[in-house]
This record gives sequence, structure tokens and C-alpha cells, in this order.
Amino acid sequence: MPSDDSTILHLEAATRRRFLCDAGVSLGGVALASLLGSIGRASAASDDRAGFGPQQHFAPRAKSVIFIHCAGAPPQHDLFDLKPALDRYNGQPCPDEYLKGEKFAFIKGHPTLLASPFKFARFGESGIELSTLLPGLGSIADEIVLLRGMKTDQFNHAPAQLLMHTGEARFGHPSMGAWLSYGLGSSKAQLPSFVVLVSGDKTPDAGKSVWGSGFLPGQFQGVQCRTVGESVLYLDDPAGTTRASRRAALDAMRDLNAMSPFADASTRARVEQFEMAYRMQMSVPEATALTDESQETIELYGATPGKASFANNCLLARRLVERGVRFVQLFDWGWDAHGTGPNDDLLNQLPKKCLEADRPSAALVLDLKRRGLLDETLVIWGGEFGRTPMVEYRNGVKTHLGRDHHPHCFSMWMAGGGVKKGSVYGATDELGYFATEGIVHVQDLHATVLALLGFDHQRLTYRHAGLDQRLTGVTKPSRVVHEIMA
Amino acid sequence: MRYAAALFGMLLVMMLLMRGAASIAHPFDAPRTVPVDFDAEVLPILSEHCYRCHGGVRELSGLNLVYRERVTQPAKSGACAVVPFDAASSEMIRRVNQVGGPKQMPPATSALSRRDRELLARWIEEGAAWEKPWALQEVRATDSLSVQHQEWCRVGLDRFVLAAMEEQGIEPAPEASRATLLRRLSLDITGLPPEPNEVEAFLADASADAYERVVDRLLASPHYGERFARVWLDLARYADTQGYEKDLPRTNWLWRDWVIDALNADMPYDAFSTRLLAGDLLDAATDSDRVATAFHRNTLTNTEGGTDSEEFRMAAVMDRVATTWQAWMGATFQCAQCHGHPYEPYTQREYYEFLAFFNQSADADQDDDAPILKTASPTHGETSVLVMAELPAAQARTTHVLTRGSFAAKGEAVSPNTPFILPPMDPSLPRNRLGLARWLFDPAHPLTARVAANRQWEILLGRGIIETSEDFSLHPEIHGLLDHLAVRLRELGFSMKAFTREIVCSATYRQSSIASVQALAIDPSNRLFSRAIKRRLEAETVRDAVLAVGGILTRTLYGPPVMPAQPSGVWATVYNGEDWKMSEGAQATRRSIYTYWKRTSPHPQMIALDAPSRETCVVRRTQTNTPIAALASFNDPALLGAARGLARRALSDSSDDLRAQAARMFLVALSRDASPEELDRLVAFLETERARFAADAAARNAFLAADATLAPQTDPSVFAALASGANLILNLDEFLTTK
Repeated sequence: MPSDDSTILHLEAATRRRFLCDAGVSLGGVALASLLGSIGRASAASDDRAGFGPQQHFAPRAKSVIFIHCAGAPPQHDLFDLKPALDRYNGQPCPDEYLKGEKFAFIKGHPTLLASPFKFARFGESGIELSTLLPGLGSIADEIVLLRGMKTDQFNHAPAQLLMHTGEARFGHPSMGAWLSYGLGSSKAQLPSFVVLVSGDKTPDAGKSVWGSGFLPGQFQGVQCRTVGESVLYLDDPAGTTRASRRAALDAMRDLNAMSPFADASTRARVEQFEMAYRMQMSVPEATALTDESQETIELYGATPGKASFANNCLLARRLVERGVRFVQLFDWGWDAHGTGPNDDLLNQLPKKCLEADRPSAALVLDLKRRGLLDETLVIWGGEFGRTPMVEYRNGVKTHLGRDHHPHCFSMWMAGGGVKKGSVYGATDELGYFATEGIVHVQDLHATVLALLGFDHQRLTYRHAGLDQRLTGVTKPSRVVHEIMA
Repeated sequence: MRYAAALFGMLLVMMLLMRGAASIAHPFDAPRTVPVDFDAEVLPILSEHCYRCHGGVRELSGLNLVYRERVTQPAKSGACAVVPFDAASSEMIRRVNQVGGPKQMPPATSALSRRDRELLARWIEEGAAWEKPWALQEVRATDSLSVQHQEWCRVGLDRFVLAAMEEQGIEPAPEASRATLLRRLSLDITGLPPEPNEVEAFLADASADAYERVVDRLLASPHYGERFARVWLDLARYADTQGYEKDLPRTNWLWRDWVIDALNADMPYDAFSTRLLAGDLLDAATDSDRVATAFHRNTLTNTEGGTDSEEFRMAAVMDRVATTWQAWMGATFQCAQCHGHPYEPYTQREYYEFLAFFNQSADADQDDDAPILKTASPTHGETSVLVMAELPAAQARTTHVLTRGSFAAKGEAVSPNTPFILPPMDPSLPRNRLGLARWLFDPAHPLTARVAANRQWEILLGRGIIETSEDFSLHPEIHGLLDHLAVRLRELGFSMKAFTREIVCSATYRQSSIASVQALAIDPSNRLFSRAIKRRLEAETVRDAVLAVGGILTRTLYGPPVMPAQPSGVWATVYNGEDWKMSEGAQATRRSIYTYWKRTSPHPQMIALDAPSRETCVVRRTQTNTPIAALASFNDPALLGAARGLARRALSDSSDDLRAQAARMFLVALSRDASPEELDRLVAFLETERARFAADAAARNAFLAADATLAPQTDPSVFAALASGANLILNLDEFLTTK
């Protein structure tokens, strides 16, 4: 090639040497930040927290979170919040005073109250009253705090899921997992800090935005791990290559990158990016394979290695937090019990879902506990809103029982990670229509989870659009629910 | 070593933090004679320390420091924060000088520095002059600056950049090499790398205007429109689905084609914008004008059962307001939806007055996405597109202030109007979307040209003059540059091609990306554009460039979206039976702008490379370099097809010698010759791979996949080795970045 460029090439060579070889300049600055953590913040390039964002504001009670989202919204009156009054008033019209100004997603006309078709019992020494559909949860009743006064603003799935996961019912905001990855980083760079596991065949109603990074940089978004096919998209080496040949390719790539006249600190970040990917190709399959689990553990969860299932995802979640993943988000689809047919009703579908989910959820808590991980792992379980104390009977068809969407109260439970054991917080009125005590709005839940992880929700901020944005929003106050902390 | 790295990182960050202050000479370094500049000196203090509690949102103690008339009136306590000419009587000064106790402001943890306190006092003593934030003041052309090295400047903008560098004692970087410039220009203007023959021709062209002619050739390429349409697709949150839950398909691609066409035809920015916002309201509006209005029909439709259509109609209208402000005025106007804007002088009432312009369109969150225009695509026959249309007068809606932004909480009724702080709408303009579009292009409008100029600069230079291109509340660091560009954009009749030409022909643009020691020391993060910014290619460009270099890019323009290869099982949306059916033949390797965009599940490769999910307007993509992105470009079987394509090109272009073939691949991909050292290293790898593939026919066949039979005269092991080498080259830092 004709060289009109000899001066620049000379300069290029000098620059490259300086950037690549000088001991004084390492990968500790901005370049590594683009790879791993927050952009342009001061941080020491230590092995554990290289390039990561703000330090925690106070001592954390939990190191990682497993959030099991039962998408569609489980019916609290049938699982968590027994209302004897519904037995008394079963089939009677819901009193007018409740319905003033109310809107429903599907219920038309004047709805009637519906008693739960299921029995409740007291479990554990704490005697928490739960549906007999949940014997597994009953067996760990003394480990959980049951929140009966949950509350949201939304009664359509997509906006409610967005609110539950991003603190905002509109698109465009980072998910809680993204916020925590931003705040915490990964303790082990071989695995993503935020992993998403989906079961029930479908993604959530609001799509991948519920584990997106919103206005935070993209590296904080959740990485979906699958139990069928490649565990992470594009993880597998292409056909016709071997680990050794890929290693050789990466070595050549590293050398050629270093030889480039344009090599600088960002080139080193590029090399490290590909090296991390290479390591991830080994660490992800290792983390996601269930083959080295004992038969006893497999049975505890009811897992079926090689298949996609909620139970497998629970077991995977434990393996991931064990390996340093900070936030594991499970989505399980199929809890939207409207009663329009046998596949979404209370008598068939709900027991089926409970059978699928109850044992593995309890197994997760037990397994974390016996491994000494429960104290540092916060497990959260629940849907995006509640269901009505009234029967839905869509379009007047009364063949199946179901309940409509309901924002005013619902139940969730948490375990481990610094929450009170064997306790109930919050209550609803006689019919289970409104939360009356211990009300925990979704944003309060967010503030509380951040607090358990060591963050002041008002100080875990990211500058965007001229504002210091927060998971809990910049306008509405939210409260840390200290009452549920151990 | 680790300690040194940490120290270096901290130093960098400190410099970053200090940069805001560095450009302003501090008032008390020397006795000052000039009065305090409210916008440049006082406003940043209020913004940083006061607005959180005393801005438009909270107004604690009845104090709002966003408006002068509020500051000089008594707050709840009865005291006035500011008494002009009398610092001693001003509550603000008393409070900031208070040490400890509940009266200290800001509260103890964030007390003001002595400097800031003295500055506030001096400002009040001088009369508490209050002016609009800089971006809301009229655009002012600065008289020509004097610079020492006038000979460096090629176009007017260079003087501003050079003046800032000279002030800091930095020399500009030398001009980049020709090959580098051609690659940069091609990627920036068309989104595709140059072909080897184009590189040769440019290097051989000794004429004085060789560079400008290359620029003109690229601007005339139909791929220019595709490249810049990408920007508009992000702004417009364009997608091929409705968005929520089932996320059903929506046919709206004719709008994307309209944008490509309009950009290629260099439709002036004012005409272009007017059509996007109000093409349907033009006199004698054509179908083409109506197609343009699909811009604001890219909002989401919620087809989930049991949703209130009015709620989501209003959400779409609010999204149009937010998008209009983001795209044309660089402000986060949506903040004023629930309360006054926290730091800009916009009230909640003004928000809803502005919203009223958009509240008369006929669409209403219906499953069928009505109204829809059936029309003919110039290239693909009959199709349809979602359009804007006004309701008949008899059905006109009344717009209300909505309490806390809730669609059901209607407050006072308002009529269409623009915010007080901005130039008033000419009374002759209709109070509808068309009038609004005309108002945006009123020569007195301070934001429209600045925002457009900043965006084009950001695309071409890698970072905006206002880096936060979605929020113009921060000051530009290079004095006068943005206003100069805004003036030039108007002078050029809003021709984006002419404007682009001016920028890329500048000495500033033509600098090398390589930093000198001096520039690194003084301007480590390149705030002054003292060198070109090296940046990773955008998601779409990564894939397009790989396909182009592999010789398998289908360069056809326009038409319905296509489905290139995607890992199986990615699509699984609730209640939606749609399948990803891979497009056949050449359709599978079209430019990424034509890839089917499903909002709840966009193509994973695009997402891994930082493309947004297109639910809301995105002004600026943040770049990250995650392991997931590396996997998506290194392991994707579809991109391996391009690697085999590059190998085939080398086989047919070069002699039978592995070294020559390696050199050819390198040149085609990186637009420069490999050094002997680089070739040695590449050939060493190829030899290893050739031996491996020769010994393992199964691996070879697997690696060559469907292409195994396509090279009859060639040793398949050589072909496979070259393809493996190509896969490596296409993931080199130099390939993935503009340099």
C-alpha cells in the first residue's frame, strides 16, 4: 500500500507501545469499566469488584437474591390469606361500598363473592395459616415472612410486571436485578451477575424489559439461562471447532489485537471481553449442569435433569448463587386463574401449578439453609398483583371458578437474607379486598430489598435525563419495611 | 501495580468530575470585574444542591428555585429567599451560611463550599440577574475566534475546536491515514466498510479534492439513507409488533422505507420533521405525507384483555409528547406529567397544554390499530401503514390536566399551547400538530437546530457537544461550537447531507484517533475533540459489516421485514402463536435495518450489542462490551457464513499461497495491509487450523456446513482454515471499531 502515512504510522506505533506495555497504565480505569461495571466511576481494580459501581451504604444482610415471580398472579385467598367471611357470604353480591369507583379487567356487572374451595391449616411452630395446596411451604413456614398487605397500582399484567420489576409501569426503566448488578457487580466474573430463568414455556407479558437494563448500560441486563438448547445464547463453540482450536484462535486474536497500530487501553478491554466470554463458556455449563447433584437433592426439588421445568430452575438458582451470581430472577408462567376454562381455573390449573411449584420452592429454601447459604440469600416469592375476592365468571359462563386481577392487596413471601423467620406481616379486611395493616407497596418492597442488600434506595442512583434516577422513583416516597427484618 | 491502577482510575474520574468547573475561570482566583453569570455560575449550584427539594417536584417549604418570581416572593416562612441587591436580607444567604442545625441549607451532609456561598452572595448583591438556561436562549453566532494555527482549520467549525484546544495548550492530533479516513467515512455515512477497490482508488487519487469527492460519492449512496434511518428508528421506537403481552405483528414498514427515501432524497430537516409530525394536516397532503405520520403511530398498543383503552390511548399520547421533546428539543418534558419539571422552567399545566396538540388524533388503542392507510409501496405493491388522523371537529376531545398523570384523574381543562419560556407560537399558526411543527422551526426557536446539529455531531464524531443529547441542561464545553453548527444548519437550508459534508470535511473530523502524550495528559477523556473517538460499531453495523466483508450482504433496499437466522426457542411470548420463520436465500442476509423487530423479544444479537428494545424513544445508545456480546459475534453460526464468504473471496482473489490469501482477507476486512509481523501471526494460526482440518474431515465438514461443496478446486482444509481465520479477523478490535 502506498505510504502517505509514514508519520502517522510511526506515531501509531509509539502510542501502541505506550498503551500496551507501560506498567503504569493498566486496565483499571475507564476501559475496564465499560467491560464490567459502572462507567466513569472511581474504583479499585481488585479481583472481586473490578470496575464496579457505588459501594454499599451499610452492612448488607443478604449477598444475593432469588426472586421467584409467579407470572399471572396467584390467588391470595386460595393460598395465603384465609377469609372465613368469604365462606359466609359465598355467592352473595360484593357489598356496594367496595365497588365505588372500581374498575375490573374482566368482571362485568355486579360481582359475587367467592369462598376458597381449598382448606387452610396452620403450619410449623409459628402456626402460619396457609392453604393445604402448599404443604411444602408449610414445611418451611418457620423460615418465611409472609406479607399479606402487598399492594400495587396496576391491574393489567404487562404494566404490573413492569412495576414489580422496574419500579415503573412504563417501559424504559432498569429492572431490580439490573440496579443490583450496577450496585454490586459480580463477585465472580465467570458468570453474569444477573441471571434469568424462565419456566412455563412463555416469557412474561412485558417481555424482556422486565429483566432489561433500561437506561442503565446494557451490561447490567439479565442474561437468560435456558435448560434446553444452549444454556446461554451463542455460548456453544461453532460446529467443527474444539476448545483447543478456540483457545488458539483467541491467542491469535490477542496477539493481533496487540499488534494493531490502533491498539490502546480499550483494545485491552476488548481482549479481556473475549477472555471472559471464553471462561464463561466453561463456567456456565458447569453451573447449569445438574449432573453432579446427588440423587437426594434432585428428589428434594423434584428436578428432572435435561428438561425445562420450574423445579430445575429452583435448583439452578441455588447453584448460581452458590457460584457468586447476585440476582437470579425466575419467571414461571401459568398463574393467571381467571376460570375461563380448565387451563386457567382454580380447581384444575391452580392445584397443578401448586404441585409444580410448591415442593421446589420449599426445597430451595431448605437446600440453601443446609448449605449455610440461606442467611446470605434473600428468596422472594409472588405475583405482580392479587386476585379478587369475587368470582369472575367471564361473559356470564359459570362452568369454571376463577378470580379477576386485583391491585389492592396480595400476598408474597420472603425467606433468608435477614428477614424475620416464621412471621406474618400485614393484613387485609374481612373480605380480603383492601390491605388494612402493614401495607407494603411494590416500591416499599424495592426499598426493602435494596436495604437488605446494603443500599439506601435514595442513594443508589444513576444520572439519566438530568435526574438522579432510582429504582424507587424520584417522586414518590417509599419506605423500608424494617418491621420484617430480623 | 494494582494500587497504581486504582490511583490512575481515580485520577481520571477526578478529572472527569472537575471538567465542568475547569472551563469556567473561578471568580475569586483573581479580583473579578465581570458580573456573575447566572446561567453559567449560579444555576449549576442551584441545580446540584437545591432542586432536589426546592425544584418543580417537591417545592419544600413552598420554595421553588426554578423561577425568579418564586425566589423573590416570600416562602411559607414569610422570608424571601432572594432580596435583589441585598444579600444580608436574603434568606438563601442566611441559610447557606448557617453552620449546623436544622436551618442550615443544604443540610449538613452537603453544605456549600465557601466559594459557592460567596458567589451566591455576590450574585444577589449585583441584583440577582436571572436569565433563561443557556439552551433556551436564542442561538447566537459568535464572531470569529482568533486562533494561532489558522492553517489547521478547514471549515468554520474547526476554529471553535482549535480555540478550545489552544486555550488548554493542546495540539490537534495529526490527520488520520487515508485508509483510516476512508473506512471511517464509509462506516459513518453508509454504515458499511469500504470495498478493497475503493481503498485502492482513494489511495491512488492524487487530486486535491479526492477526499471531498469520496464524501460526495458516499452521501449519494442509497445506503446513506439506511444508515441514518437507524437513528430515526430508535427515536421513533419503530418495531414490527404492537408491544404489550401478545405483542402481535403490526405492518408499519412502509414508514421505515419512507424515512430511508426521504433521507436519501435529502429532504430538508424542517420539511422532514413537519411530515413526521403532521404530514396529514398539510394542504393537499399526499399518501406519502400521510405515511410519514406513522412516526407517531409507532407507539405501543395494549391488546391485553381487560385493559382500559383510554388508559393506553393516553399512554400513547404521552409517549408522543415525550418523544417529540426528546427528538426535537433535547429535553425530558415528560417529567412535568405529574408535577412541575424538577429543574427546567416547565409547569405541569404547560405539559398538558402541549399534550393537547396530540390529543385530537383518531387512534384509540384499538386492537386493529386503526386508523390505517392502505396504499402502494413504490417497490412492494399494496400494503398498509398506521397513520395519524385528526378526529372530526364534532368529536374533539377536551384536554385536562391529569393529577399525578393518571388518565382517570381529570383536573382543569386546557387548550393547546407551547411553554411560556419558549418563543410564542405565531398567532397565524393553527393550534394543531401542523402549527406545532411550524413553531419548532420558527427561527427564534432555541432548541430545534441545536438539538439536530448536536445529534449529527454525535453520530459522526462519537459523542455530542452536549454529551447528554437527551438533556440539554448541561453546558457545552467548547464555547460557541454548537451555536455555530446550529446557525450553519439553518444557513444550509436544513440540508442534512450538506451539513454532514461540512462536518466530515472538517479538520476536526479528519484527526487521527491516536492520542499524543500531551493530549492524554491534558484532555484524557477527549472532552475537546483533540483526536477522533474510537468507538465500537453499532449493533446493526457489526452484522452488516461482517456480511459485507464476507461478500454475502444483500444490498436491496426496502420492503417487508425479514427474519435472518436466530437461535431457536428465542420467541415464546404469552398467548402468541407467532414463529420466527427464517427468511430464505438472499433475504436472510439483508441489512439489519430490515430485520423483523419484535418488541418483547428483539433479535438477541442486536440486544447483546446494545440496541434498544424499541418501546420508548431512545436518543443515545450506551455502548458496553460484555462477554455476551463477544459470544454473539464470535460464535453465531450465521456470521460464520460470512467468515466462509471472506475465505472464498480470498481464494478467488489471490494466488494459491496461504500467506497471500491471509493478506487478502486482512485487507478486505480492515481496509489496510497487514504488517509482516501481523501476517506471520495470522499465517501461523491458519497453518495450525489447516493441519487440524486435514486430520479431521468430520470437523472440517461441520465447520464448512452448507458451503463445503462450493470450492471444488480448493483443498477443503485450506478453505476451512481460512474461514476460521476470517472468523478471528471479523472479531478483532480493529474490525469492531471505527478507528
